[in-house]
Amino acid sequence: MAEIRFAGYGGQGIIRSGIIAGMAASIYDNKHATMSQSFGPEARGGACSSQLVVSDTKVLYPYITDADVLVAMSQAGYDKFEPELSERKGVLLYDEDLVKPKASRGKIKAYAIPAQRFAEQLGRKIVANVVMLGFFTAVTKIVTYEAMQKALPESVPEKAVELNMKAFERGYQHGLEVTKK
Amino acid sequence: MNLIAKALKDGIQKSGVNPAMISMPSDIPFSQEVTRELGVDFFQTTRGRAIAFGTGLKLSNPALKVMPVAGDLMTLGGNHLVHGGRRNMELCVIVVNHFVYHTIAGKNAPPMTSAFSPYSTFEEPFNFPHLGNSCGAVFTARWTALHTDDLGQSIATALNKRGLSLVEIIAPGPNYYAGIEHLDEQLLKFYREQSEVKNGEDPRHVAIAPDKKIIVGNFTDKERPTFIDQYNMQLGKVLGEKFTPHGVIDKEPLPGGKIG
Amino acid sequence: MKADPKGVLTGTHYIDGDVASGYGALAAGCRFIAGYPITPSTEAAEAFARVAPRAGAIFIQMEDELASMAAVVGGAWAGVKTMTITSGPGYSLMQENIGFGASLETPFVLLNIQRGGPSTGVPTKTGQADMMQSRWGSHGDYEVIAISPDSPQEMFDYTVKAFNLAEKYRCPVMIMSDECVGHMTEKVVIPPADQLEVEPRRYYSGPPEGYQPYKPDPDLVPKMAKAGDGLKLYISGLVHDERGYPVAAEEFKTIYVRRLVDKIRLNKNKIIELKEEGVDNADIVVVSYGISSRVAVKGVEMAREKGYKVGTLRLVTVWPFPDERIQELSSKVKAFVVPEINYGQVVYDVARCTHGKANVVLVPHGGAGVHNPKDITDAIEYALKQEKRIEGVVEFKTRLEKLVFEGGMKLKE
Repeated sequence: MAEIRFAGYGGQGIIRSGIIAGMAASIYDNKHATMSQSFGPEARGGACSSQLVVSDTKVLYPYITDADVLVAMSQAGYDKFEPELSERKGVLLYDEDLVKPKASRGKIKAYAIPAQRFAEQLGRKIVANVVMLGFFTAVTKIVTYEAMQKALPESVPEKAVELNMKAFERGYQHGLEVTKK
Repeated sequence: MNLIAKALKDGIQKSGVNPAMISMPSDIPFSQEVTRELGVDFFQTTRGRAIAFGTGLKLSNPALKVMPVAGDLMTLGGNHLVHGGRRNMELCVIVVNHFVYHTIAGKNAPPMTSAFSPYSTFEEPFNFPHLGNSCGAVFTARWTALHTDDLGQSIATALNKRGLSLVEIIAPGPNYYAGIEHLDEQLLKFYREQSEVKNGEDPRHVAIAPDKKIIVGNFTDKERPTFIDQYNMQLGKVLGEKFTPHGVIDKEPLPGGKIG
Repeated sequence: MKADPKGVLTGTHYIDGDVASGYGALAAGCRFIAGYPITPSTEAAEAFARVAPRAGAIFIQMEDELASMAAVVGGAWAGVKTMTITSGPGYSLMQENIGFGASLETPFVLLNIQRGGPSTGVPTKTGQADMMQSRWGSHGDYEVIAISPDSPQEMFDYTVKAFNLAEKYRCPVMIMSDECVGHMTEKVVIPPADQLEVEPRRYYSGPPEGYQPYKPDPDLVPKMAKAGDGLKLYISGLVHDERGYPVAAEEFKTIYVRRLVDKIRLNKNKIIELKEEGVDNADIVVVSYGISSRVAVKGVEMAREKGYKVGTLRLVTVWPFPDERIQELSSKVKAFVVPEINYGQVVYDVARCTHGKANVVLVPHGGAGVHNPKDITDAIEYALKQEKRIEGVVEFKTRLEKLVFEGGMKLKE
């Protein structure tokens, strides 16, 4: 079982990231995945997050208790959710241009990617979340590459599929590189 | 049968609509003898919700002719008239304006102008034809219950209009049905004597005011696409051939179906 | 009867509970929804509005919730399956016409995605505090059926079931969901139409003059009719006789209300659905519904790790209430632990049925969040430790309450 938190600010596609990863895991990897989104005043440009619980068996309790992964795309999101990351097994993925992490705690492993910068290089800042999803896929291996390849085109507008696939690939390759080191 | 029921029956007959296809949601209690005589399906709704209930009937089966009778529209449910008119929902709304609820001593309704409140009323009454017209009704009319023929004809016209029509009937309150008739007859005669027929009058100028004639007649008469027309147009535009239009949209025969 | 394939979006979806319920409605044969948007229920209405045209169904955004509920009752009498969707304040506005619908014995479904209350409350966050309102929200005596799903798949399945129950018992059926389940996204499998059983309306088919809208069949449920069939219906919210005609005498009132409540009460064993796990030999049974039952699972799991014998009883249907089952368990268990996101609603029905034979511990929650599962574990432990019978309901003090009221918690938004 894996508990994942996606955190950033409104407009970054944080909820969408949770849906795509959850869809890939539950429909194409045949696992169980429950995604919950946080609404509230923070939905308007402030902190925004979604949580995803992936399991081989039915997800009974659908919320984070001891997070396996924190995907941080904003400083506020990082600050708010870093404390719930498991000291024992936690993995932190963050956008290195947007988040300055504190000194590492326990056995938490941290991996950085300039997701937003990569997205800008591809022409659209808006696909930063998909770059991050590629990175997430490569580093954590919670969801398979193949499943993500299937879920992604279903979750974005038809004319944006190509760009999104490129963005995903860019993040994925970066993930392979940083985990090789 | 009382005068309003007679006018409704007359209107239905003149309209040529099959009474079996008419649904009459009403917040005024009609007796079963009356509604069976009319031959319609009758629904006594919660106060003020006849138009809303009728909207559900119409959209669920567009082949029905829906004739909401609204007494409490004067207060409860006024907003349903506003939005029914805006949408041009196909409803033939009958507003019974009895100025007062004189079954309850001293309780006055907003359009009241005469003295059934212990200290008389001081509030401005509603100008229903103007209200209906402003909201988008395709037909508005006002008659007293004693204008039997004119009223029946207006109801017939309203039943055959495509869209929301509003017919205001000036008549004493529910007590009328309970039979304190001497009072009601006097009142009715008074209303009739005080009225003046002005067909085609601008509804802005037909407000009821003390010491002025009650203007009666057919006021608004215009054409606008109905809610279902607009729904079908818009969804057809977006969904194209995949979309099957909702309900009956042909102009002839009329959705309620003519007899014979 | 099998579902109409036009309304069934067969396949595997990854959708939230709101959307699943909207799809469930169309699959169940709902062809008219009137509603007014309100967080956190809006996605359900949107989903239905999006897919409605494919099945010839229609959605209308009314001017308010009073109009929506009235239109839904009207629509049902025009001969289609109808529903409305709302939350908190909208639910309050609907109450008069819910009672009206119950009085007319109108089949319809109401989806309430509960949010934090009272009043405007916390629109974007959860609550379970409308449970008593779902039972007794409108004036006068009547019975309804209320269902509380706990996952998007159940939102689909039980929306279909809600429509079936509404037709079977000619009564309003409330889907009492909540923001957590409404906004939770999971895999939802929608079966092919030929695997989906839907209840057809029980129509009268005799001669027009013989129809009596409130003459009951042996199961106490009368046959339905629809406008436009030439039956000269007389349908009224006044107390009525079997013909539908208004009557005021107490003997008629007795007959009328008696059947209105009895058609649910006497059929309740056919209506009630419970999900039990590990109840046999349990010392403690955790009674819960909706999102709280998923949270309770975690608390129970932790209690079992400590060696406690704990079972779970989930109220899939909350109303009618399973009096007999709770009574039966009362003599076998030490206590019931009831977590709900309110300060005590369904727990009092649990207590009513124990007849002092078992303790009843409420684990309350003020809303805008779910229970900390550790509180449920601790409440189980607390209940086990009590040697004496305790009158009424004991309230367990949660971590959040201790922190806020005793721990000097620094409040910041």
